[in-house]
Amino acid sequence: MISKTAIGHLVDKLSAANVASEKEDLLVLGYDSTPGVHHLPEVAVYPTTTAGVLDAMEIAQHEGLPIVPRGSGTGLSGGSVPVKGGMVLCLNRMNRILEIDEENLTATAEAGVVTLDLFNATAAKGLFYPPDPGSQKISTLGGNVMEDAGGLRGLKYGVTRDYVMALKCVLPDGSILTTGGKSVKDVAGYAFKDLLVGSEGTLGIITEVTVKLIPPPQDKRTFLAYFNDIRTAGEAVSKIIAAKIIPSTMEIMDKATINCVEDYVKIGLPRQMAALLLIEVDGHPAMVEEESQGVKKILEQVKAAEVHVAKSVEEANSLAAARRTALSALARVSPTTLLEDATVPRSRLAETFAEIERLTAKYGLKVGTFGHAGDGNLHPTVLCDERDSDEMHRAHAFYDDLYDQVLAWGGTVSGEHGIGLAKKEYLARQIGPGGVKVMKRIKDAFDPKGLLNPGKIFADDDPCTQAHVEEGFRVSH
Amino acid sequence: MSPTEKLGNFTAHDAPDYCDVLQCMRCGFCLPTCPTFALTGRERSSPRGRVALARAVAEQKLEFTEAVKEEAFFCLDCRACTTACPSGVRAGEVMEICRSQAHQFFPLKHVGKSFREFVLQKMLPSPDLLEHSMLPARLYQKLGIQWLLRHSHLLKLGPEWVDKAEGMMPELHPPLRPQLADSIPAVGEQRGRVGFFLGCIMTLMYAEVSRQTVRVLTQQGFEVLTPKAQKCCGAPHLTEGDRDTARRIAQHNLDLFMALDVDAIVTDCAGCGAALKEYEELLEETGSHDKLAAFRGKVKDVSEFLAEQGLRTEGLKPVNKIVTYHEPCHLCHAQGVSKQPRDLIKAIPGIDYRELNEASWCCGSAATFSLKYTDESQQILDRKLQNVQSTGAELLVTANPGCHLQLAWGLKRAGLSQKVVHITELLGMAID
Repeated sequence: MISKTAIGHLVDKLSAANVASEKEDLLVLGYDSTPGVHHLPEVAVYPTTTAGVLDAMEIAQHEGLPIVPRGSGTGLSGGSVPVKGGMVLCLNRMNRILEIDEENLTATAEAGVVTLDLFNATAAKGLFYPPDPGSQKISTLGGNVMEDAGGLRGLKYGVTRDYVMALKCVLPDGSILTTGGKSVKDVAGYAFKDLLVGSEGTLGIITEVTVKLIPPPQDKRTFLAYFNDIRTAGEAVSKIIAAKIIPSTMEIMDKATINCVEDYVKIGLPRQMAALLLIEVDGHPAMVEEESQGVKKILEQVKAAEVHVAKSVEEANSLAAARRTALSALARVSPTTLLEDATVPRSRLAETFAEIERLTAKYGLKVGTFGHAGDGNLHPTVLCDERDSDEMHRAHAFYDDLYDQVLAWGGTVSGEHGIGLAKKEYLARQIGPGGVKVMKRIKDAFDPKGLLNPGKIFADDDPCTQAHVEEGFRVSH
Repeated sequence: MSPTEKLGNFTAHDAPDYCDVLQCMRCGFCLPTCPTFALTGRERSSPRGRVALARAVAEQKLEFTEAVKEEAFFCLDCRACTTACPSGVRAGEVMEICRSQAHQFFPLKHVGKSFREFVLQKMLPSPDLLEHSMLPARLYQKLGIQWLLRHSHLLKLGPEWVDKAEGMMPELHPPLRPQLADSIPAVGEQRGRVGFFLGCIMTLMYAEVSRQTVRVLTQQGFEVLTPKAQKCCGAPHLTEGDRDTARRIAQHNLDLFMALDVDAIVTDCAGCGAALKEYEELLEETGSHDKLAAFRGKVKDVSEFLAEQGLRTEGLKPVNKIVTYHEPCHLCHAQGVSKQPRDLIKAIPGIDYRELNEASWCCGSAATFSLKYTDESQQILDRKLQNVQSTGAELLVTANPGCHLQLAWGLKRAGLSQKVVHITELLGMAID
């Protein structure tokens, strides 16, 4: 338990308004968007400067308190859940965009800046920051970097990692490290920046991020294709890629997802269809025209039930916005939505849909599937009730089987959500004991006391940090 | 949840439904829409955090503490989070229920309790008492006492909310309810018959606005029936956590209006409309389901009703004004009526309509919030006024008396020239 003195020190350094220790504050900082994982921290701090982060970390180190960074708590693998208690370091008050450099095409922002705010600020200057995770309206840049967030445009434009040019972070030894810069090329020594991206707050606390910006596409066209069979939709995606067309977006929703999303957005999505693909091609107008023709031809070849073209920018935007609500909309159906992040080589998409259907029937579950089909990144989501332990057991068995198959196909257990608490066992399965050992050695080199976001990524032996099944429901102590 | 079953650390009476709190999957889509979270950046002052607190009480991880009470009342109940929530969580309603719990856990002390009970249980449910209570205020304006007090700065000596409440008071006219005939015939070809629900604040403070509403309705071809026995809609009771009195007057209004042979029950107060539309849930355990559903189907905000019926535009005279529109939370978020008022405004010839940035962001009025949390309310209002100013509009249209009071007061205080009008006043300008 944190001492009164330590709280006093924190208040001295950060001011009372930026330190919270009431139970009501702490209770609501013990979760993120991952179902079922929750743990009470001992104190929460809201530093407003890098120096404040350093102060907070020094006090935590001195007290032996675990330190868990938190942006907006929209993570989907439990990365910001303080499973070992300690200090939650909220970065959402460090939310200034520091610079948009129009000569070097970069933007520098504090870690707590909301992703969409950065997008809008750069768009106002005629520039484009492509990574757009589903939660972009509220997710923070720091959180995006820590989890290496993807998004709807990943297929053509890549993920957060592809845009990070420099990071400022506070390391557990009390040093402030700046890695990378505005130079387009940089091979000076180990690529710390690349190690820190996707490190889920286990190596250092990021306080500032410099990202690369690009010129926005001049034109885009949005298609909506309906299918009577979800496997045909998978086939369409594989064929479009094989035809050397890289759309900016190729999103899939199955029937359950279509219906839940339509219940919320009410824009006339086809409730009776087995699946729909939202496809967007962008770039130079001539290229958009050529790729549109190619996409249309393939959709006809595979016999899509219907193909529509968005008539206006507003319509295209409303379709993308609708897709972003998929996960939350699925939560209308059931109290608990267990979602996974399986990603397969794109040639395996049709088979993956078949496997999801087979396992859904085998375990007698209700599953809604959506995701970034063009990336091979699917989010099969079990719609269940955490109070039904038998159903929860079946749901976990479903994912166990699915991940075995995904790994056998050369896929990965996480395309964009990270490992956090929820997928430690699956990661061990993917990279093997040797892989886990190397990762742990890297972690030790940065954080020898093991205070930074403990219990994440690796399935260590401490039962207190093991996500495990209790009453059929994955919980943490 | 049945009234006798106890949920966790809540009392058995008027507790949240466990399913309603479990529904939140904590995606955080509500966070950027919540004015109190924007002010504090504190999770517990966000919809997701508030629902999590309610869930913690339900799961016995937390007692119903002072802080839970504080968050229940700090919530504006603006329902922006309901609009933003893809999962269908209604955090505002969960907080309304928590307010009722708060009064059970922390009953007021003697004087405060008697006053609250008098206002909610005696005065508001009685139109006569309510109308008489305004007489001193009218005299106060008419006899020049207002002028005297304002110029003497005596008001500044009291608590801040007294000064603000006094400053917000519009020019008062005699209450409208006793003046309106039970039935007012349609003008021209009759298109239907409506029951008019006249809200307390409308009849007492905006009598001339509601007079325009009735005029617009009749001019548009609707016979207007205004039953004099109608009572407060119950919204103040729901926001203050007195659900028992709310149910009692809801039943009275339901029976009264369902006995009328009308096509629709129309109101020009967004707060009343939202409350009337919630009778179905409020009375679900005691009322007849069919009757409640039929009532729910008939209740319409005046914009919703006119847009649905189609505005008769022949003979409308041009209103050559630059106009913008502030969406009352209880119209756009609680009732989902957002496009209709804009369509009506744009249908008036001569209008230069400018869209307001963050039009559906709360103005900070929120029932008694503006008096209880004067600083926070002011910050929310400032954000709104800045947006209003940048439209360059001459008229700021809205559709709810709470917003009307707050915006008019804010504009006056900031020395801005925009005039606030109710949408039926604007329509009234176009009708000779």
